[in-house]
Amino acid sequence: MTSFEYQEALKNAAKSMVRVKNPRRLLKMIVRFINREVGLSHASILMYDQDKSQYIFVDSRGRHRIPIKLVKLDERNPLIRWFSEKGNHTGKDRLSKDYLTHEQVNLWLKNPAIMNNGHADELKEHILQLQDVMLTLKAAVCVPGYYKKELLGVLILGEKIAGGAFTPEELSFFQTLANDASMTIKNARYQEDLLAKNLLLEKKRTILQERLREIEQMRKKEQETYYQIVMSLAREVYAKDPYTSGHMEDVARLGVMTAEKLGFDLTGKKKDILVAALHLHDVGKIGIPDHVLMKPERLTDEEWKIMKEHPSRGAMILEPLTDFKRVAHIVRHHHERFDGKGYPDGLKGEEIPIEARIIAVVDAFHAIVSTRCYRRGRSVLIAFDELRANAGTQFDAEVVNAFIAAYQSSSMDQTEYKSHHDAH
Amino acid sequence: MKLLIVDDEVEICDFLKSFFEERNYEVRSATSGEEALKAVEQFKPHVVLLDIKMPGVNGVQVLQEIKAKFPKLKVIMVTALETRDKIEECLRLGADNYITKPLSLEYLENDVREKIEAVTNSSSA
Repeated sequence: MTSFEYQEALKNAAKSMVRVKNPRRLLKMIVRFINREVGLSHASILMYDQDKSQYIFVDSRGRHRIPIKLVKLDERNPLIRWFSEKGNHTGKDRLSKDYLTHEQVNLWLKNPAIMNNGHADELKEHILQLQDVMLTLKAAVCVPGYYKKELLGVLILGEKIAGGAFTPEELSFFQTLANDASMTIKNARYQEDLLAKNLLLEKKRTILQERLREIEQMRKKEQETYYQIVMSLAREVYAKDPYTSGHMEDVARLGVMTAEKLGFDLTGKKKDILVAALHLHDVGKIGIPDHVLMKPERLTDEEWKIMKEHPSRGAMILEPLTDFKRVAHIVRHHHERFDGKGYPDGLKGEEIPIEARIIAVVDAFHAIVSTRCYRRGRSVLIAFDELRANAGTQFDAEVVNAFIAAYQSSSMDQTEYKSHHDAH
Repeated sequence: MKLLIVDDEVEICDFLKSFFEERNYEVRSATSGEEALKAVEQFKPHVVLLDIKMPGVNGVQVLQEIKAKFPKLKVIMVTALETRDKIEECLRLGADNYITKPLSLEYLENDVREKIEAVTNSSSA
């Protein structure tokens, strides 16, 4: 092979190796190729281990190969210092750092022009140490691999088996390989770092999502517990009045039937909201003293004022139920009147939530037919008359009609209320 | 300056052997625990470099036997194992140092030289 052909062969080899993206594989290929094509006592690669801040042998081939994972060179090692110290010592700067050959080191040591400058002692000492390291590693040539100014590794090559010095072509080929390998290592590390960062981010996101789910579950549980507490409060309100206890479910049923008659949309959560409002509309009465709540006589103005607070108290109790914000809103307005003369806010007509308008009718009916501490229950027909008489003023007329129609067509035993009031 | 190198990897033995021979040590190597114990009796080294993970008699057992028979013989553990337990166990059994691979040759040589100097000084005194 002519020198030119040899050089071309080396160049082609370098080109094909550059395409290898995995740095470990590339380093192995480089070592194997040099060992085979150039014929050396050994070809080895020192690589920088980021985690441990040291240079270790990652591959070595040939008769005098260096056992990998046995030897490390730390940053204070003369060879590493030689290649990584840049511009610190003016004396060394004048000497080539592209690569080191055994011959060159020996020549420097014999050259009085190099040895006899201002840094002679230190420089000489360093070059002597270099000679020692190269001898230990049986290195004829050391070629550094840089990325920017960072020393990523060193190609350590033994003597040619056939003897003789390295040609300039071979040396420049080694340099090309060392630099390509450095580039590949750096790129791979960069990608690894990116991957690791992505992985970390992904992990963090998963943890965050789990945490959010936990919080959501806790919140749901809290809400359920709270709902149960409120429900038991509502039951207590009903229970205080012995005549109405047990009617909570009837009220809810009548309300839903009325809504259905009205063609009110009960899909999704809407039915739950309506039922909850029907159950809970009087929960605010829990704060009203019994002597007011169960007073047989007419209430005084002061007592009446307290009594009229129950819708807003109820809404306040229900406020923490974020899933049922609307329930609180409905409860607040179940004593509004269609003509705007109700309480607490004097809303009128369509301003009043439809569920509240339904509750107003069902609640009034319930009050009329039930025997209360202050009067006996009256018949369903009387109740209907009263609802009709107040339709358009106190009640929404459409709701009144729907309620009466629903009640009449229901399978509910209409004598139930009658028997109730007959019994007392 | 007699040094015995014990490692089941021939390559490591050869590399360290030539390293120390170039520095004027008299070196023998052994690639098993049994071989090592025999070499200790016959070669009578000043210092032993001892690997731990070996088939058959392992380094810790070799250390125990050496220290039982030749308490003054310096033993430096040279191993890739670096668990705290292993290190403590070896030091308790009398190991004179514990060096993990990959190692710095400079440090290793300094340590070997120190140990040999200590032994030769005390025996001449």
